[in-house]
Amino acid sequence: MAIEDLRGLFAEQSLTFLAEIPYVYHCHHYNLFHDQTIDDALGEAEGTRVRTAASHNAFRELLGAVFDKVGATTPAERISLASEVFAWMGQGKLSLSATTAGGSARSASLHYGFTWREKYGSRVKRIEPADAVAAGFAAAATELAFDLPSDAMSAVEHRCVAARDAECEFTLTPGTGHAAKPAIDEAIVRRYVVPPARGLDEDRIVQISTGLLEFMRGVQGDERGLVAAFSVFVAAHLPGYYNETVYETMHRVERTMADSVPAIEALMREAGQVCVFSTFGNVLLSPEWEGMVGPPTGVPTDVMAFCTAIARGLGFGHWFIAEYEPRRRLVIRCTSTYEVAFYRSRYGLAKKPRSYFVQGAALAMMTLAESVKWTERPQLTNNFYVELFRGKPRYRVEQTRCMMRGDAISEYVVDAL
Amino acid sequence: MDRYIEQAVAEIPQLIGIFLTAMPDSLLFSSWVREGTEWSAEEVAAYFGDLVRANRQGLKALGSWSSEMQVTIESAESLVVLRELSSDFVCGCVFERSAPLGMVRLHLKRLLERVTQALPKVQPEDRPRGARIMEFLDRYAPDPHAVTLRVSLRAGISIDDLKSPGALSVDQVRRLEETACKILGVNQLSL
Repeated sequence: MAIEDLRGLFAEQSLTFLAEIPYVYHCHHYNLFHDQTIDDALGEAEGTRVRTAASHNAFRELLGAVFDKVGATTPAERISLASEVFAWMGQGKLSLSATTAGGSARSASLHYGFTWREKYGSRVKRIEPADAVAAGFAAAATELAFDLPSDAMSAVEHRCVAARDAECEFTLTPGTGHAAKPAIDEAIVRRYVVPPARGLDEDRIVQISTGLLEFMRGVQGDERGLVAAFSVFVAAHLPGYYNETVYETMHRVERTMADSVPAIEALMREAGQVCVFSTFGNVLLSPEWEGMVGPPTGVPTDVMAFCTAIARGLGFGHWFIAEYEPRRRLVIRCTSTYEVAFYRSRYGLAKKPRSYFVQGAALAMMTLAESVKWTERPQLTNNFYVELFRGKPRYRVEQTRCMMRGDAISEYVVDAL
Repeated sequence: MDRYIEQAVAEIPQLIGIFLTAMPDSLLFSSWVREGTEWSAEEVAAYFGDLVRANRQGLKALGSWSSEMQVTIESAESLVVLRELSSDFVCGCVFERSAPLGMVRLHLKRLLERVTQALPKVQPEDRPRGARIMEFLDRYAPDPHAVTLRVSLRAGISIDDLKSPGALSVDQVRRLEETACKILGVNQLSL
């Protein structure tokens, strides 16, 4: 069975699955910013531990489901298939050599290390390795290959392309092991959605997002195991990773560093902004988009509809535009996101709105619709990002309803200041 | 000062830009660039200032520093010459790449004499270290748009306190400096 054939789509909620485990697409700008925020909050050592554990858990869920679906039973078959899945996702090409006693893994092209070096390498010297995701994957793949329990294997990256080593290298060592938590799969996700609603420009958004979902079906890693598309590096990624890292970190900051909550919440929102600017923006300016939708018009209502369609096309859930008054007000609502099922299953009801990613994304959509001259096809550089979002804010965002808190829908209101 | 620079550069057709940087904070003091050139003078002046400082420290480490030192950079597009005019000012001149080095040296000598004569005598203000660290981060940190939030989170200094970095306590400045080193991947800040 080909990996592509393992994909599933919950079409009316714009949620995507691989072997019934949720997956989404994010670009390297978002991924690096996300990981950086986790490390900013917890420090490098603990940040790496939390990120590795989240990846380990998320890839155990995915690979376990993939092996079941494909009927992969032997260690060699499972290791080989796992590496193939990882590369297909655009996470990189990893050579894994392991037994029940441990082993090693190496790669010259991992999504995180490679793109960190591309983006920041000329500006900052990095000492700590960047590929906690690959470490967690290697541990999970080895455990499942040999039918070992969760956490029976741990992986540590000790050389990294981001730290100017020629290759990333990992060592796998046996650990103690414990029972894995139940997977957040499609059946669980379906429990935490509400019937989809229609928003402004709905027909056009459905048409475009359907086309984009179809386009994304053809996206897969190149010979390096990386996906270079829309002028960014894109990776299929597991919401389990994003959710566990974000919420474990948030909860810990709330418990132990309450004064830092405003800073981490702002950075989590900023990650959403980075995503919309870098991924949505570059999709809008891409030849692929022009082929599907046409050249950019720069009309704010078009940009808003297109951004909503892109969110759905990347598997972020059923976002819709409830209200939009250019330069004044935007109300985005969601009947599903990739965060709700994880949060409700793992932690129960949230005490406050928790969807930082969509908060930042809504704010950025407003800014992109109003302040970017799309017809001039600007380069979406870091300097341009700073120009758009730094300085006196023009809009503020508030999440007024949150499905993680138990509200019937999630709602994000952006108002001009 | 701008007037003096404009007069001084009038006779040098291969000159693309000149930047006077006030030290020790690497702030733009004055500049001239050829029409049609889209450079951020503040940014260029700051980088030139930091470059000269790093060069001075490197030469001192080698035991070969002298106040007459000059940095020449030959890039694909241009020829850049940096010179410390005094302990308070650095001058950076950018020439067309095709300009012969001999001519550049000749022009530069005359140019710097005129510029030096026009420089004011200054008494550098001892600015708070906290403010200087935040400015340094603004220039060099990746994701400068997020640097205040990142520092707040890493150093445990409130966002409000970071709005007035000059008023940070000694302990906050220490944590700020450690955080800045961490963010930039360096052992110490060259301030």
